[in-house]
Amino acid sequence: MTMRPGGELATRPLHFIWIADCSGSMAVDGKIQSLNTAIKEAIPHMQDVADENPNAQVLVRAVKFSDGAQWHLSQPTDIADFKWDDLEAGGVTAMGMALGIVADQLKIPPMTDRALPPVLVLISDGQPTDDFAGGLQALMQEPWGRKAVRIAIAIGEDADQEVLKKFIGNPELRPLQANNPEALIKYIRWVSTAVLKSASSPASQTMASSVVGLNVPIPAIPDEAGSAADDVW
Amino acid sequence: MQWQVFGQSVRGAAHERRGTPNQDALGWLPRSGAGSSLVAAVSDGHGGARYIRSHVGARLAVRVSTRLIHSFANRHKDAANLSLIKRTAEEWLPRAVARAWLDAVNEDLQRNPLSQLEAEALGTPRNDLDGHAIAYGATLVAVGITNAFVIYVQIGDGEILTVTDGRVLQPVPKDDRLVANETTSLCAAEAWRDFRVAFQPITQSRSSLILLATDGYSNSFRNQAGFLQAGLDISQMLRAEGAMRVRNSLEGWLRDTTKIGSGDDITVAILYPGKSKSRSHRPTSSATTRGAKR
Repeated sequence: MTMRPGGELATRPLHFIWIADCSGSMAVDGKIQSLNTAIKEAIPHMQDVADENPNAQVLVRAVKFSDGAQWHLSQPTDIADFKWDDLEAGGVTAMGMALGIVADQLKIPPMTDRALPPVLVLISDGQPTDDFAGGLQALMQEPWGRKAVRIAIAIGEDADQEVLKKFIGNPELRPLQANNPEALIKYIRWVSTAVLKSASSPASQTMASSVVGLNVPIPAIPDEAGSAADDVW
Repeated sequence: MQWQVFGQSVRGAAHERRGTPNQDALGWLPRSGAGSSLVAAVSDGHGGARYIRSHVGARLAVRVSTRLIHSFANRHKDAANLSLIKRTAEEWLPRAVARAWLDAVNEDLQRNPLSQLEAEALGTPRNDLDGHAIAYGATLVAVGITNAFVIYVQIGDGEILTVTDGRVLQPVPKDDRLVANETTSLCAAEAWRDFRVAFQPITQSRSSLILLATDGYSNSFRNQAGFLQAGLDISQMLRAEGAMRVRNSLEGWLRDTTKIGSGDDITVAILYPGKSKSRSHRPTSSATTRGAKR
């Protein structure tokens, strides 16, 4: 066969970004440790999902926010090489700034228009202390911000549900309420596997049929884990 | 001047893993694949769960568009008033193609009404006949060539490349709305509004290649430059090695490309100026790949 025409071939990148609240309240009742544990436990399952779809290249990053916001894992890291360094809690809740730095990375470039819809997972136990609306606006100004699969996990009853709903931007998808470590593990696992699987093999659809915030089919959400008696947060 | 066309459609690597069919289609007129007036089209049926008959919708898109564009090209091939032809192409063809596709879909629905299972997948009641065309949702990328002009017609994602004097160009303007697997579609209400039409009078510089492709091809390259390079490379290969070599290699290239790249179905039509009326290659590997029926 004659040499194949064209430049280098490549699978389509799927950017998966954790956006994690590291405010001081996350230090209470072991929330931050539970989050670290849940993400670490999810890694092999994410790798399994990625292996099942070799035409998507799953690239993981993480943002942490407290008094400010910064990349916890700045380089898009192939899921096969993804390791989780524990987060530490302390400070306030600069959620708006976190969304702003994610928005910067969703511009084209550095993103390409051949990417798969990114998955953004916002995890928080409180209320933003900065300009959340400004950060969300910056995110939603980017085509890939609008088209991203945006999932929110509320840790404990003090999490600001309304803010998380605004981040999701779709009434059909509610924030996932984790009031104990088991629930947090379950939801992190769901995002890392079911949502990742759906996002990594989205099928084309007409613009009219797509609902903002539900750019790929969202799989069934697991039931909340445990009973109210198990709640610690 | 004679033009010739050949092409190939391969099922996506991801479609093979999921057990879904090749939802692309490919066709041309005249069916010989050669002529001074030549039309070719590719179409990509939407892969979403609602679009349960999109592989049929893609075939219908190729069939009706090649008929209409071929008829239009023949009707106007000797006309001198290119401005008028251009305006007619831009205003009439989108409406005509969109209407003909919908008529063809409705005929298919009359012959084969949606089953209860299909209606459930579509998410509309079985008696909501107006909504059933969505099940056939597909894109369209087509070109019509005469001695006087070339018309490019597109709705939805997909690509058209031309190579002229060693330069690769994209004659149809980009639609910035098409990101994240969302596309404009023949199945949308007032689909004609979303057509992009480009009209080029034939001048001294003639293209040595026109390439039509569904988005599974361009999405398989690491970047846009790599895809554009494919146009240049194929043009070079046609010149240096001959069309037969390219034809014989095309299916293998595309199979490798979907496996290493996007995983999506890939369909490519290659049009090039030919000196003789040699018979065109007939693709054999895909049920959705054929010369369009008159």
